[in-house]
Amino acid sequence: MKDQDKATRVDRMRYIKNKFSSNLCLLAILFDVFYFVCIYKSDVSTYYYTIMIGASIVYNLVFMLAAFLSSEGVKTYSEKYCYVLIFLGVMQFVRIFIIPLRASTAVVTVAKVEQVVMGSGQFAKCVVYLCISGVCCLLAAGVGIVRSRTLKAYLATLGEEVRRD
Amino acid sequence: MATLSLQHIDKIYDNNVQAVFDFNLDVKDGELIVLVGPSGCGKSTTLRMVAGLEDISNGKLLLDGKDITQTPAKDRDMAMVFQNYALYGHMTVYENMAFSLTLRKEDPNVIHKKVLAAAEILNLTTQLNKKPSQLSGGQRQRVAMGRAIVRTPKVFLFDEPLSNLDAKLRGSTRREILLLHKRLKATMLYVTHDQTEALTLADRIVCMSMGHVQQIGTPLELYDTPANLFVAGFIGLPPMNFLDVTVKGDRLEGEGFSVPLSDKEKSTLASYNGKEIVLGVRPENVVIGNDVPVKVFSNENLGMNTLVHGNIMVGGKKGMKLTGKLKGWCDYKMNDEIKVSFDRMHFFDKETTNAIREGK
Repeated sequence: MKDQDKATRVDRMRYIKNKFSSNLCLLAILFDVFYFVCIYKSDVSTYYYTIMIGASIVYNLVFMLAAFLSSEGVKTYSEKYCYVLIFLGVMQFVRIFIIPLRASTAVVTVAKVEQVVMGSGQFAKCVVYLCISGVCCLLAAGVGIVRSRTLKAYLATLGEEVRRD
Repeated sequence: MATLSLQHIDKIYDNNVQAVFDFNLDVKDGELIVLVGPSGCGKSTTLRMVAGLEDISNGKLLLDGKDITQTPAKDRDMAMVFQNYALYGHMTVYENMAFSLTLRKEDPNVIHKKVLAAAEILNLTTQLNKKPSQLSGGQRQRVAMGRAIVRTPKVFLFDEPLSNLDAKLRGSTRREILLLHKRLKATMLYVTHDQTEALTLADRIVCMSMGHVQQIGTPLELYDTPANLFVAGFIGLPPMNFLDVTVKGDRLEGEGFSVPLSDKEKSTLASYNGKEIVLGVRPENVVIGNDVPVKVFSNENLGMNTLVHGNIMVGGKKGMKLTGKLKGWCDYKMNDEIKVSFDRMHFFDKETTNAIREGK
């Protein structure tokens, strides 16, 4: 890419929002929803009715809200929302070890019959959904940080500040 | 840019209502043509036919000599600016201006350069991150123009772009359009019902009424030598006075007045001797004199001029109305009696309503 094209691309950022990062955030929310729907697929008595699943539901709501707000933040090249997204992304990977992994190894007895709480197929799906969601968050954050720093440096040469609309 | 030729164009709607009759016009490269006329005269319909938004019932439309009568609107390489701006409210000014190019999948860097160049021309550089709702009417209209400019179309079409603006903004935006035309040297078709816009902007004016072209000419031609009563009455503010008179030798006799004819005027009206004609006098051609007695009923001071409205006196009674635009500040009271003369007169055939010209 020529230097002139690079300069034009950076200059475009003054007027074009960071839709790439923003859309990745929305994708992360979508896969988070897939994960949560997936986890309730199996009917395994009262296995899920614990404090853990209650906390998971609350965190899920917090995640969606935070990810949505961050999607709006990174759209306008705000660096601080990128750090929120890094946290959210890492947490998606951590969540694999909280419910899906435990459920995949758990067995419950329903009507004197032992049942696997989460089959390997369902487990794989949950892991994939959380991984994609986490990767989307981290990628959105990475792209957001690079772009916001590039824009900030460019605007500094022009004597302007990053817009906050 | 481009030349445009409209040949024998008719517009007949499905319900058999004909909106445009035999429209003929050749637009030269870089020319600004203004279509002017009252509401419902077919000017917007003509523009929409040129844009491809309305089918052409009969006739041909040529762009650079190529027949585009049946060409879809998107392939005509024309950009239209609408009265209501037609901007996308959820997009910023930049995005609005870049939208058409984005749809064409042009290189984003090229789009960026074009948008910035257009914004520079229209003085919108500082507004690029704003949404249309944050802009004034004039700025919105400039965005609409910018959206047209970035496409670098062959022909620009303007459909009453200033009608939504207040009087002051209309004046400044009008000047901007004129500067834009001079800068881009673009072929433009501009529709308006405002004769001031027509007179100030146009290289040539097409005056329309009831779907018919009444006259095509430069602003001066339409003002100075109107082809018929309609053009004479439509162009000029305040409108021209029309008085019924009879040609009697070297004089024109009207109800309560008589005005002398010059030798040139006499020869122009030679074939009308003894016949009734319509005498047209622009208010600015009414001067204080000795020919026509007028009873004043209204006096409007405009600063440099005074508009005096009155009735021609016919044996002590009020006759035909007459408006004069007298120079300077006048303070006539209601029922004051003054005498005026006409320093320039236009003559129209009473039956055909066409202007009477020498040698015709």
